Amino acid sequence: MAKTEGARAAGADHHPEIDWRAAERSPEFRELVKRKRAFVVPATIFFLAWYFGFVILAGYAPDFMGREFLTDGLTVGYVLALSQFVMTWVLGAWYMRKADREFDPLAARAAEVALRAGREAEGRSR
Amino acid sequence: MTPIASVNGTALAVFAVVVGVTLVISYYASKRVHTATDFWAAGRGLTGPQNGFAIAGDYMSAASFLGIAGLIYLFGFDGFLYSVGFLVAFLTVLFLLAERMRNSGKYTIADVLSFRLNEQPARAAAALGTLTVVAFYLIAQMVGAGVLIEGLVGIDFWLSVLLTGAFMITYIILGGMLATSWVQIIKAFLLMTAALVMTVWVLIKIGGNPLDLFRDARAESADGEAYLKPGLFLSTPLDTVSLGLGLVLGTAGLPHILMRFFTVPDAKAARSSVMWAMVLIGAFYVMTTALGFGARAILGQGGEEAAGATGNFALPLLADDLGGELFEAIIAGVAFATILAVVAGLVISASGAVAHDVWSNIVRRGTDSEKEEVWVAKIAAVAIGAIAIVIAVLGGKDLNVSFMVGLAFAVAASANFPALLLALTWRRFNTTGAVTGVLLGVISSVALVIISPTVWPGPNSEGGLFSFYDLANPGIISIPLGFIGCWLGTVLSRERVEERTFDELYVRSETGLGAEAGTGLTLTGRSDGAGSADAPRELAGTGR
Repeated sequence: MAKTEGARAAGADHHPEIDWRAAERSPEFRELVKRKRAFVVPATIFFLAWYFGFVILAGYAPDFMGREFLTDGLTVGYVLALSQFVMTWVLGAWYMRKADREFDPLAARAAEVALRAGREAEGRSR
Repeated sequence: MTPIASVNGTALAVFAVVVGVTLVISYYASKRVHTATDFWAAGRGLTGPQNGFAIAGDYMSAASFLGIAGLIYLFGFDGFLYSVGFLVAFLTVLFLLAERMRNSGKYTIADVLSFRLNEQPARAAAALGTLTVVAFYLIAQMVGAGVLIEGLVGIDFWLSVLLTGAFMITYIILGGMLATSWVQIIKAFLLMTAALVMTVWVLIKIGGNPLDLFRDARAESADGEAYLKPGLFLSTPLDTVSLGLGLVLGTAGLPHILMRFFTVPDAKAARSSVMWAMVLIGAFYVMTTALGFGARAILGQGGEEAAGATGNFALPLLADDLGGELFEAIIAGVAFATILAVVAGLVISASGAVAHDVWSNIVRRGTDSEKEEVWVAKIAAVAIGAIAIVIAVLGGKDLNVSFMVGLAFAVAASANFPALLLALTWRRFNTTGAVTGVLLGVISSVALVIISPTVWPGPNSEGGLFSFYDLANPGIISIPLGFIGCWLGTVLSRERVEERTFDELYVRSETGLGAEAGTGLTLTGRSDGAGSADAPRELAGTGR
């Protein structure tokens, strides 16, 4: 299914010179996927739970959401809504930090290993 | 005090400035955009912050600025519920799609699907999903534009729609995604500034204590305590949950938003653009809430009639109350810039589906030149724009705009999002699954909206085809159906999975190895050496 060089308007280019199957099975790539999942899966479950908790309360418990919180004028509903903003920013910033420090170096290593394997295979076939 | 019916000279002058600036940008862009990568992806040369502003400009429609503030003015809490969903949705985009889209795509979301699936059917399905979402969203924006411009400037509805459409087409034909991106960046800047100035002004006027906003607003509302509680606008609990689901997953299926990730050089810039967008959009929605309450506290019940049934004119009224006619005209001009930036983003994504997916890769099977592809894209942009103008004018002012925006999000969440996510993460996923999933997602969300109480049997009706079905938002049914369609189609078909292309897509999407390179394009020139020395780009450089 590799695209030919002449088909300029085609979709994204394939790179048959790389052994993608080996790259996918390399310990470096597996490590990247494992570490990324260890953050993204729990973080996604958490934000969906926090968000739907809020939406379900808004739908089914309007009186609870209308209760006064700490001071007159502020309600539980608004505090929970604002907590969604804080959650979005905090989780986003946390992910950015993890990605810069942890995922990017791992991804670069996995890519490098795959590239090197591709070059060696090319060298052997000559 | 009310938005007047005769032509408002001040507002017209502000509109002319907005149009003038954006046309100059498009002219500059037109001299630099040559290749298809320039046209659809702005040469992949935008920085993270630039693309963050552009995403914010692409996403925050006049419906968010005037519409949400208006909903909050009229109904209090429930308007805020929309804002929360619109913002949290970006976590879905950040965690699941942004970087993967940048690493694996080229110009359209169909590129990602067709990379590992059978080219023709996968592209056709993705193009269908894209065009359906864009159709509903675009027509909603055009009708909204017509109503607003007519109300704020006094130009007739049909002429307002025609002018909006004409400018949007001009940006795209001249400067493609480069012009569109800069129109969106400037619009986001204008919108944030306008919202900030107004918010500070409102806070000063009520005495400086933000808590007084809640107290004063409650005191000015006929609903009293209920104004600060959910339920005034969204009264069916399950419908509220369904809306929330559609909002939080729909953004991750909006083609014009996902397409923005192709405009940056790498995955790092893609995720930083989401972070910038989240900060801007979050701050914006906090301010819109303050403005909605401010309108309630300052205008009171006296403004309800002039604000209109959906409250769209509450903010212009508030601006008039604060700073007189000139300030109202400036806010109207910002709202106009807002609409232009959103519709341009929508049309360029639709032009990608028509020219790159349908024409180049289905009709011409990838054999045409880039030059032909860009030409077809421009023709497609004119055609799509013309169709949208005609439908918006014929549909008229009474078309229910908010339901069409809701429908666009529902289709995006039910058709595009499941297929994209599964193509990138599920090894067994196949072409049959993608096609059935997209079809089931599109058909179920459209059909459920048609039989819903807000649409059946006529516009703005209170009926519904079946008495037991009372949801206005189809998401809670149509999104699971989209996923089930993908799964059932996959497990029931005997199609062989291309293991190798999945490995390639999977490794590429996670590492960026083999990702499409940029052309070094910027608005002010073209830099040499778009690629640096790191491994992924080195490969992309040698691959051509």
